[in-house]
Amino acid sequence: MKILSLLWNNLRRGVATLRYPAAPPMTSGYRGLVRFDPTLCTGCAVCRFRCTARAITFKAAGKEFTWAYNPAQCTFCGRCVDGCKDHALSQDPNSPPSYVTAGSLSTSYTVKRKTPPPKSPPAPAGTSTQTGDTHESRQ
Amino acid sequence: MNLLTALARFLIFPGLLFAVPAAWLVLWLERKTVALLQQRIGPPFGQPFFDFVKLLGKSTPPRAGVNGTLMRAWPLIAVSASLGAVGLLPVLPSRGGFQGDLILLLALMELPAICLIIAGFSSRSLFGEIGSAREAVLLISYNLVFLMAVVSIAVSQHSFRLESLATAPITAWRYLGLVAILVCLPAKLHVNPFSLPNAEQEIYSGPMTEYAGFELALWQLSHGLEWIAGVGLVATLAVPPSAYAWIDVISVLFLGFMLVLVVSLIAAATARLAIDTTVRFYWQCTLVFAVAAISSALLMRLRS
Repeated sequence: MKILSLLWNNLRRGVATLRYPAAPPMTSGYRGLVRFDPTLCTGCAVCRFRCTARAITFKAAGKEFTWAYNPAQCTFCGRCVDGCKDHALSQDPNSPPSYVTAGSLSTSYTVKRKTPPPKSPPAPAGTSTQTGDTHESRQ
Repeated sequence: MNLLTALARFLIFPGLLFAVPAAWLVLWLERKTVALLQQRIGPPFGQPFFDFVKLLGKSTPPRAGVNGTLMRAWPLIAVSASLGAVGLLPVLPSRGGFQGDLILLLALMELPAICLIIAGFSSRSLFGEIGSAREAVLLISYNLVFLMAVVSIAVSQHSFRLESLATAPITAWRYLGLVAILVCLPAKLHVNPFSLPNAEQEIYSGPMTEYAGFELALWQLSHGLEWIAGVGLVATLAVPPSAYAWIDVISVLFLGFMLVLVVSLIAAATARLAIDTTVRFYWQCTLVFAVAAISSALLMRLRS
């Protein structure tokens, strides 16, 4: 009979779930859809190699490259974000939206490769090396 | 019962026109009650109807090695039989009926379960076959109690006519019979603790695993109509006859509503039993009830 009192208490407390599209607040560090910032990406393709689910594809063609992401294949493990040295990738802190058409959440970017910085002439012996054109300086 | 009355009962009230929306309402009420008892928001009003419409628009994928015509026939027969059973219910007792319609009602109420068993085996699915085997064992177990309960009610009133059963004064034996029918209802409707044939965590949907689209929509409608027939039978036999037909109708609808809530409460409060426990439970019930029913029948015969 304990179950009846449990059910009564459930009924008395009211519903704990929400009707769509309302959603409970996400926990901090929630790993949602992968976001891509083309202005930061240098096209190293490490994310493609780290993606075991093959959700990220990368095609290099001359002076530009195409980065594409298919959330339907993504396991939201976050390995691509961890491995991105340029901080061009991040993960949405909200849950992915519902969709009715296959592939409607897929994204694709064609980015022009950034021209590599001119090599500075070798510094004369005895002076300190000044490499001001690093990733950090570009950011 | 003349032809016009029969048609009105089967097509309007309590048949097609009333029973189909009522079936969707009952399915929604059951799901909503269980959800609220589990602190969930549950489906919005009319969800079973929307599910039905959605399923009508979906195509059935090809099933290799399966006779498509047969697979389509079983849900159609089940829906027709359930509708026929609902049409026979003596909600308006003075508006028709014939001698022996109780037997026809029992036969029509059994048909959907038999169709489900055959459908599971025809689908050539492992889950379907397991579900059908479970349904068959369950059918044999609970039907002993169910049929004996109905027969004892009929014997105590000296009639197999639903109309005379519904209008006769209610005796204590009838309440005993109704309690026994109520014990069988969760098994007949495949709800907890007797949801063995469609145990979704174990065998997906059991006999309905291979069904989709229009055929699945018909199975769901048939399930809703089974609810109406089962709950309606208890309600019509439990409500004492009154001077006005509309009072009878309102009383039957109210009692039916309450019965749906009770069965849903049982479904929410219990977990699924194993098949051997279920069979043992019903056979033990049968033993107790068999003694009570046979003694009552003998007593009635001796008195009359």
